Parts: sequence; C-alpha cells; structure tokens
Amino acid sequence: MKPTLTRLITAFVSVVALLTRAGITPEQVKNLPPPASHPVNFTKEIKPIFEASCIKCHGRGRDNGDFQIDSRETLLKGGGSGPAIIVGKSAESYLIELVMGFDPDNVMPQKGTKLTREQIGLLRAWIDQGAQWDAGVTFAKVEPINLKARRPEFPPGRNQNAHPIDRFVDAYFAAHKIKLPKAVDDRAFARRVYLDVIGLLPPPEELEKFVADKSKDKRAQLVQRLLADNENYAIHWMTFWNDMLRNDYRGTGYIDGGRKQITQWLYAALEKNQPYDQFVAELIDPKPESEGFTKGIVWRGVVNASQTPQMQAAQHISQVFMGVNLKCASCHDSFINDWTLADAYGLAGIYSDGPLEMVLCDKPTGKNAPLRFIYPQLGEIDPQADKPARLKKLAQLVTQRQDGRLTRTFVNRLWQEFFGRGLVEPVDEMENPAWNVDLLDWLAEDFADHGYDAKHTIEVMLTSRAYQLPAVAATEQTEKSFVFQGPVVRRMSAEQFRDAVTAVTGIGYATPAADLPLEGGKTGAKPARGTVVSPKWIWNDADAANKAKAGTVYLRKEFTLTELPTEAAVVLRCDNTFQLQVNGQRVGEGDVHTRSYVFDIRPRLKKGQNFIAVKAVNRLPGDVDPKEGEAVPGTENPAGFIFVARLRAGTNVMDFGSDSSWTWSHESADWNKPQVSAEKWKNAAVLGDVTISPWNVRANFTQQALAKTGYGEVRAALVAADSLQTALGRPNREQVVTVRASAATTLQTLELTNGEELARILGRGAEKILAEQNGASSSDLAKELYHKALGRNPTSGELSTAREILGQPAKKAGMEDLMWALAMLPEFQLIY
Amino acid sequence: MKTNSQWSRRDFLKTASAATLSALAAGYPRVVFANEPAAEKLKATADTVIVLWMGGGMAHTETFDPKRYTPFEPGIASEKVLSTFPSIDTAVDTIKFSKGLEKLARVMDRGALIRTYTAGDLGFILHSRHQYHWHTGYAPPQTVAAPHLGAVIARTLGPLNPAVPAFINVGQRFDVGEGEELKAFTTAGFLGSEYGPFNIPFPDEAAGTVQPPGGMTPGRFEDRNKFYKKLLAASPVGEHGSDYQKESLIRSLDNAHRLLSSPAAKAFDLSLEPLETIRKYVPSYQPGRRFDAAQDRFGAKYEEQMVGRFGLGCLLARRLAEVGARYIEVTTEYIPFFNWDTHENGHTRLAAMKVQIDSPIAQLVLDLEERGLLNRTLIVLASEFSRDLMMEGKPDNLVKNQVEVPDVIQELKHYGMHRHFTDAGCVLLFGGGLKKGYLHGVTADERPCKTLKDRVIIEDLHASIFHALGISPKLAYEIEKRPFYVTRDGEGKPIPALFG
Repeated sequence: MKPTLTRLITAFVSVVALLTRAGITPEQVKNLPPPASHPVNFTKEIKPIFEASCIKCHGRGRDNGDFQIDSRETLLKGGGSGPAIIVGKSAESYLIELVMGFDPDNVMPQKGTKLTREQIGLLRAWIDQGAQWDAGVTFAKVEPINLKARRPEFPPGRNQNAHPIDRFVDAYFAAHKIKLPKAVDDRAFARRVYLDVIGLLPPPEELEKFVADKSKDKRAQLVQRLLADNENYAIHWMTFWNDMLRNDYRGTGYIDGGRKQITQWLYAALEKNQPYDQFVAELIDPKPESEGFTKGIVWRGVVNASQTPQMQAAQHISQVFMGVNLKCASCHDSFINDWTLADAYGLAGIYSDGPLEMVLCDKPTGKNAPLRFIYPQLGEIDPQADKPARLKKLAQLVTQRQDGRLTRTFVNRLWQEFFGRGLVEPVDEMENPAWNVDLLDWLAEDFADHGYDAKHTIEVMLTSRAYQLPAVAATEQTEKSFVFQGPVVRRMSAEQFRDAVTAVTGIGYATPAADLPLEGGKTGAKPARGTVVSPKWIWNDADAANKAKAGTVYLRKEFTLTELPTEAAVVLRCDNTFQLQVNGQRVGEGDVHTRSYVFDIRPRLKKGQNFIAVKAVNRLPGDVDPKEGEAVPGTENPAGFIFVARLRAGTNVMDFGSDSSWTWSHESADWNKPQVSAEKWKNAAVLGDVTISPWNVRANFTQQALAKTGYGEVRAALVAADSLQTALGRPNREQVVTVRASAATTLQTLELTNGEELARILGRGAEKILAEQNGASSSDLAKELYHKALGRNPTSGELSTAREILGQPAKKAGMEDLMWALAMLPEFQLIY
Repeated sequence: MKTNSQWSRRDFLKTASAATLSALAAGYPRVVFANEPAAEKLKATADTVIVLWMGGGMAHTETFDPKRYTPFEPGIASEKVLSTFPSIDTAVDTIKFSKGLEKLARVMDRGALIRTYTAGDLGFILHSRHQYHWHTGYAPPQTVAAPHLGAVIARTLGPLNPAVPAFINVGQRFDVGEGEELKAFTTAGFLGSEYGPFNIPFPDEAAGTVQPPGGMTPGRFEDRNKFYKKLLAASPVGEHGSDYQKESLIRSLDNAHRLLSSPAAKAFDLSLEPLETIRKYVPSYQPGRRFDAAQDRFGAKYEEQMVGRFGLGCLLARRLAEVGARYIEVTTEYIPFFNWDTHENGHTRLAAMKVQIDSPIAQLVLDLEERGLLNRTLIVLASEFSRDLMMEGKPDNLVKNQVEVPDVIQELKHYGMHRHFTDAGCVLLFGGGLKKGYLHGVTADERPCKTLKDRVIIEDLHASIFHALGISPKLAYEIEKRPFYVTRDGEGKPIPALFG
C-alpha cells in the first residue's frame, strides 16, 4: 500500500546529508563513465532521464533538499549544497557525484533504479556541451487542468443547427476520418434509454407504442417522459449514488453506531432532482440526514491515522466531487501524483474539532497542516473560523460557479455511465486530459448554466446522435490510443439485471430496506404490495394477554379457495409454542415466542375447502410444557397467538389473519381432522391489535417477516444485497466505488447457473405466469417472454426451440428453463 | 503428488484464457514489483493450503500451550488459574497439549507448532477486526478493499484443478452477528470477484453447491444448456461480432457448466463417504443427520445442533484437496459468544470445542498422509487471538471490562478463559514441506503467559504460508496506481526455522 517506512526515513536523512558535500576525488574521477561523444539532444536524451529519475522529488512543485529542477535556472542555482552543475565541467558537477553514488549514504535517485553508465555519460556530455535547455521545457508545477470553468467555442462547420454534442463530435470524427455510422433502431434506442434513465427494461406495450409512433421527435419525447418518472429515476440512481457515497442498508459500522445511513435524504434529493450544487453542499456541510457521508465508517478500536473520519471525509470529497485521489497523500507525499501529506491534512483538518497532527506513515510529525482546500486557486478557508463556518465555506468553495472541476467531474461520470467510457479516464483522475476537451468543458458549462440540473444534462446526452450510434465492441483500451466511435457495449448492473428478471418473471422483492415514500412510478415497477389484513392476537380467553392458564389450546380456521394461490406464505407468532398444520399435514413448529415464524404453505393447499389447525401451548413458568390437555391452576402467564396468511394468485388477493372467526377447543381428538364436532369448538377471544402489550410487535411485522421469503415488486436498488446481487458485482460499499467491474466471472455465472436465489425466482415466476395465463399456448408464452426480456418477436427458429423447451402444453420446468436461457443471453445482459 | 490425473491441460488452458481475457479487459489489477527484482523464483513446497479457523479466540493455555493446571473447586483464587485442564503427552517429547486433544497429540510428530503468534495491536481487541487483520494482513478500514488470503493465493496461483474453485470457504454464515464485518474481509476485494470465496456454509449441503439447482435432474440440466446454446446461436447479437463483455459472459457460463458437470464435483458430496470414514471425523455422527438449515440456529440449541459440522468440514476439505483445490478454509464458525468466543463457562465449553476439533483434524492429517498428499498440502490451524482468565489485552494494557471476573471463583461458570489476550497464541501447522515435530517460540509459565522468545506476527505467518507456495512476500498488485503488497509493505519474512 505504501512505501516502507525505512525507505522514507532514508529519504529524510539524506536530505540532511545533501547539505554536506564531499566533492569528487581525483581517484573517483577515473571511474566516471566517459561523456557521450555525440552532440546531445536535450529533449530526446536528457529530459527523459530527468523525468524518470529526478522530477518526482525535485520538480512539479516538490523541492526535496530545497532543490528544484524546474528550469535551467533552478538547476544551475542548485539546492542547500550549492549549484547542482557547473556548466562545461561535468567531472566537478555535484549532480554527477550524486548519481554516481560515491557516497553510499547519499545516492540519487533515492527511489527507483540507479542511472546506467550510459545515462551518466549522456548527462556528462550535456553538461560539458553547455547544458542547453530547449525552450518551453519546464518541470515546474503545472497549473491543474479541468479546474476553472471555461466556455469553449463551437467548432466551425456546416452543422450549426445540430445538437451541441454532435457539433463537437462531428468535428472530432472529421479530424479522425471516421465515417458517421447510422443511428441504432428504435428498439435498441428504447432499451438503452429505459435502462439508462430508470434502470428498467421497456415494458412490451410501451415499446410497441414507441416503435409505432410516427412523430419526428419521439426519441426526445421518450427521454423526457422517462426523466419525468421521478420515482423510478430516483430508485435507479440510488445505485449510482449509494456506491459513490458508501451508503448501504447494512454493512460494517452500523453494529455500534459507527456509520449512518443517508437513504431518506438521498432518495428525496434524487426524487425531486435537487440541483447538484445544493446536493453537494448538503453532503459537504451536512444536515443531520445527510451527515453519514462525511461521518464515514468508524470501526471500534485504533484506526490508522490515514483512515480517521476526517481523513475519510477528505479522501471522499476529493474523489467523488473533484476527481482527485488523496489516498496516497493521506500517509505521505504521493508518488503517483502531486498531492502531498499537507494537502490531505489541510482538507481533513477542516472537519476536525481540534488541531489535527500530521502523521507520516504511522509516525506522528508533531506538525499540523495549515487548513486549506486542495485547490487554493478556488479560494481560501479561514483557519480561525469555527468548524461550522469552515464547513460552510468549504461547501461554498466546491460548489461555486467558478469551480469547473465539480461540474466536469459530474458530467464526465454521466458520460461514462451512458457511453461506457469517460471523456476523462479514469473517471476519478480528473487531472488527466479529456479526449475532447471542448466537449467536456461545454457539457460542464451547460450543466452549470442550467442550474446544475442533472436531468437536463442527461437529456442533452441521451438526445445526441453520439449516444444513438451503434455500440462498439469494448476491448482493452490503452489510454493513449483511444478513439471515440460510439458508446461501448455495457453490461447491466446487478440491480438492472435483477429488475429485468422481475420484469420477466413478475417476482421482485417484497419490502424495501428503508422506509421510503414510494407511490408507484409512471413506468414499470409498482411499490410493494402490503398484506391487506389486520390480524388480531387471539386465545381462548379475552384476558390472556395479562394472564392465561398454562396448557394447550387448539385453534382452527376453515377457508375456501376458488383457485390455487401462486404465493402462500404465512407468518405467525405464538406465546409460547405451537405446531402448525394445514389440511391435516404438519407444516412446522416453533418455541420462541419473540420470533415471527414464516412458512410456505402452498404445497399443502388445494382448491375448495381448506383448514388450518394450530396446537398452541402456554407453558408453565420455567418453560416447562404442561401435560396434554391439562390446565394447571396457579400458573397463569400471558398467552396469545397471531397469524397472517398472504395468499395471492395473480391479481387475486386472498389474504386473511387471525380474528374472532377462528375457533378454539381443548379437544385433542379432532383438532387436526377435516371435520370437528362443532359443540366442542367456540369462537376465539380477541385480545387486541398487533401492537398490544406484552408483545409490542411492530405493525409491519408481517412485511418484515415476509421480506426474507416473500416476493413483491420492490426494486433491487432498495433492498440489502442478496447472494445474487452480490455475485453480479454489487459492492459492499465499504469503499467508494465509482465504476463497477462488469466482466462476467465464473463465480458469478455459477450463482446464475445453480444459485438458489435465481432458481427460486424462476420457479415462482413460472408458477405465477402459468397460473395467470391459464391455457395460453406455448407459442404465445414464448412470444410474450421474448417481448418482455428482449423487446422483440422471436424468429421462427427461436420460437421452435422455445416451444421445445416449454413443452406442449407449457410445463413449469419448461418455463423456468426458457426464462433462464433468455436471461443468460448476451442480448439480455448486455446493453448494445 | 496430484499428477493431473483428473483434469486435462486443455481444460486448464481454456479456463486460463477466459480468466486472462476478463482480467485484461476489466482492468483487473496487474502484478507489480516495486523496486524489487522481478519475480523472485521461489520453489514451492506446497500446492494447497487448508486453513482451519478457530473463530472466536482460542485460548493457548487451554489447547496447545498448557500451563500449570488448577482444578476447579469453589473458592479458588482466579489469579492462580492458568489452565483448567491437565497436560497430556504428545508424539513429540518436548511438546505437551491440553487434555482433550489426544488424537491431535498423536500426530504432533507430523506437524510444527508456533506458540508465540501475537495478534496485531489494534487498540480494542475485537473479534471481527482481528479476523480481518488475520485474513488480509491489514487492519480495517482500508482505502481499497483488501483481499482475503485465499483470494490472494487464488489470484496468484490460480486453481490447481480448473474444475474446482480456487478459494473455498467452508462453515461460515454471514447472516449472523457481526456478519457484515465478516463479509468485509471474506472477499477478493480489489482483485475482482473471479478470485472471491466459494462459500459453503454447511458442509453437509456442499454437494448442492456444485449440482444443478434443487430438483433439476442432470438430464434436464444438460438439456437446458443445450437449448441455451441454440438460442444463443440464434440471437442476432451474434452479428455484433466479438467483444469482451460477451466473450467473458459466454466463457464464464461454460466454466460454470463444466464445473457443475465435472467429475470433481463429486468431491463436494459427503454422502459418498462410507459411514465408517465419516465417524473417524465425527464419532457421534448419525446417518441422515442434518444440520437442518431451516431450524433455529441460534439460542441455546446452536452449539448442540452444530456438533460435527466442523468435522464434516474437515472431511470435505480432504475430499477437495484430493481433487486439486487450491485454498480451503474450514471454520468452527464465528458467531459472537459461541464456539471459541467463551465469555463464560470457558472450561465446560472448551471441553466441547475440543471434541469438535480433535478427531477430524487428526484424521485429516492421517488421511492426507496416507494418500501421499500431506507433503504438498499445508494445514494451518489458527485463531484471531488467545484468551486469559484475568488479563484483557496485552499486559498492562487493560481495556474496559467485558466480563465479570471474580477474584475468587465460586461457580463453575467463572472457571475458564474469558478475556481477550493478544500477547501469545498458538498456530498449528502440518505438511506442506514444513519441519516435522518442531516447536517454535517460548511463552511464560506464569501469568501473563506472554511471548518470551521468537515472536511471530501476521506478516511473517503469511510470508511463511506464501513461501511454502512459492510466492514472494514482496509480491504486489497494482490498485489505483499504487502497489498493494501481499504482506504489509512487502515486509513479511518467512520464518526460516519452520522450513527444513
């Protein structure tokens, strides 16, 4: 992770050593490599040596040993030990002495490999020949790029009325001699924008309507319509921001208050499309609802100095909003960029309540870094100000109109989302140049001009012709050789895949992990369907919640089913123990009265008359079972039973709960028989609603219990990761993730091939579809699946294979296998 | 040893090319050797590693480093109790074990014992943090996702048999207390999910993890794949030509299918073992016994229900090692306050824990030896830290009370090692080319029973494991342009004395 401490200490020691130079002895002069005999070319032969071996410590603003090689002047001036070179006299030049390493404690370069004799020969010749320095070459600290807001001119050309993005791209294509390909067809376009804006596949009816639409601006209209689906837009972009802001519904830190969710705040911000400058300001200078981001993740115990909450905040503000990596600089001056320890601590200190001592590779330095933002060009922070004032100022610096880095970083992330590769790559290194500087700058300015409206910029990007170009094969693209030719083929995220599977199977998640104001978006998925009954606590005695006799009570409920449900989950609690039977067959039992038990009773149900029978026992004190049928006096304690059945067949809801229509008896003879002798069974006594004492169960206990086993229509982004989502690359959000790895791996496809989760979804989906489409032909079922999954008709060849898989008539196993095969197709998983 | 009898080179190349393809394209980290001569050529003495994880903190003085025994009687002074079990002889004259480990004692002549493993000083002594530290070599949190030891080995050496996942993790569930913390290190981290753990929480259900999904016959499974190939060929996306996303998906699916239909998958099926063999690992085993996944795994019944689960995990490890697994970890399972995490009733519960581990580990050693595999298989038994009855933490470094320790013990439940201790701990190693019958390190005979000589830290333990596998401790992978060393800062040093 970081260079060894010893190496660093050596570096510091030798800085001191530089101050005392020995000089080259005549003996040593003999050992010097001879100067190169040809006229030396500075740019071709000397500059590369400086760049590889000297500049990291003596250029780009670093001045180790008070020595800088910015220019010929600073080189000649030298450092604490005097001039580095004497023009014309290489054998007397200190530089040569150092690179020869005559003093073993003082060898240059300190890091990396020593110079070769050939290189030293070149340096000697260069010095001897007058140390010529080509004009324009400088190793001074460069002004950071992509920082200040800049409004570029449009390129000249005939396309002045074209989409602004295309005006830049056309010029780019012309310069790169790329012939403009034809835009993708309507179906491919619709699939892209649905997935990109709201993360869902286009529903077949909407897709056909769109394809049939003859209006000229229908693509723009579609983009606008999707952007207006605030709920699904927000849910989809939760994934993007949760990854970036490390927000998750469970994870490390929550166990002991070392982490705080920002889910409610984030969802609301996305749902109302809060302007990005305000959004960022509320994360940097947080309200209680948004403070989770800068609070970080705090593990108990001693944490490395580079990972204190303040350092986490500094790293993440820099990375997420400014596209800057401060991680190296959190331990030591970075070797891979120009950031220093003081930069990292200067920013972290803004979040510190007291002085923050700099720690160099786990060693305290005794120094505090002056408080400052990483780009002083953007403004200063008064170190004397109190913390709230500092945070306010920091938020203002980052979100000010002149900060072109904030906007560039964000529009670049959007571009990366939609085109598969950023204008600047990697997207977290915004000090790299864009492949089209003017386009990046224009997008950033346009974004700010439009009030930092993310939806505006998304609309601009998705309505460009550039976005509508055919997808190009993604290959390993080395940074330098990249030429933009269109969006690259992308893979669905874990959440997109899971939601797409929901669209095909009808089986989504039951309950969101957070309490969000979901109302059902304008497109696609609807919110969770709750269970529609209000169950009551029951027993054989209305006072049982206070005290009931120990002993066994049998409870029964008879009900009629007009059709077989495709979903039949029951949730129950019993104080103390129970055995549950359905239609005379054992389903399960439990003895923990504080637990909600969930059972799937579908296999026990039949069309027509059904009955549920429960043997409920109120135990003796000390958790001792009373004898069968015996009520022991003097051992009273609370007893109760509550039950919910969630029975669904398609849209048909047949839920019921425990209430006074249940009957009870002490009779052990017929409790689990279809017929009972009515005179021995009486109506159950209602003790009260779900939340009554002494159990104090939450009103939504059913949903909570069903969340683990049940299925609904809640989208993947709103639930904690399960094995399927994890396998498909949803990160655990311990670290900031701005781009997910998307290539398939074997462990991932194993989960897809034999994982329980997907198998269960397909099984339930197959049952559901077959129940809902009773009697549909295999051809119709196959066509419908093709439309749902791939947005098109199957070809005749595909149709015949699909029918073969389904069977005639379609069987459950066939449905499962066809849905599996469709979901495994690159055409399904990839975004072309 | 394993002379490629069950897998062909061609298979391996196919897998390797798929992995390479995805690795390149997805920007998976590449190897770097910062300032080091390129890849030191090391000769491997082991091909497979089996880590036996005693999650929860295994007291050294109650297991492999017994001290003076003080039997329980009401009224004994706490400070007098160093061990709650008498010592027993082992096959090595100079090494004594604690009573209850008789079978392991008999195979000690095949192993090496480190008594001076010192867990990292991470401030509070906390299970999940120290487990993270043990398994990654780094203390959490980290700015990049640190990979698990198994993932590093999987990434560096690849699978030994391409039909067996390179990193198999047996016996740990993640929907338990501190499960999120366990997940944070049971991961390939930045190395990429290709190298992540193949989790088998219940060894008796392992077969299901490499079989077609529940209820699917092999015939239907083959048909499904055949039909898939037909639909794939018919899909117009084929016309788009080749790109790495598509190639990696198709190849990965092929790999998964090959794994699920490979003969090696049988290794996961414990039902193929004769009862007699299973009982050598789990003497109390009853045929048909299931660790019923749907039943209550918490509360008082947990430990009772789990008896034998670890033993079956060891048996599974043997079967996997036989077919060429690369890295297998079998855990007694970490759940706060269960198994080795004894904050009360330490003596009684440790007697039970020893029953859990003694037979299966000894049998694993003997079975591997009998099959000629022990020389090339390194077994490492370890725990995140040790325990003591009085001391919390390092000597003179008391942390706030976790448990009540009376000065005078009246009740049996107070008799045992109930507090976290980091200044010594045992690591038991077998095979893998290590010295046999060797004892490393000396600890004090009086409280605190701390390390006196030859301290071993995690960097050096990892370096030793890597060394046996032919991996340099200075190996680094690049992430965000920085080198991430497989031992912290590349500074781990193999313990020379462990190697012959």
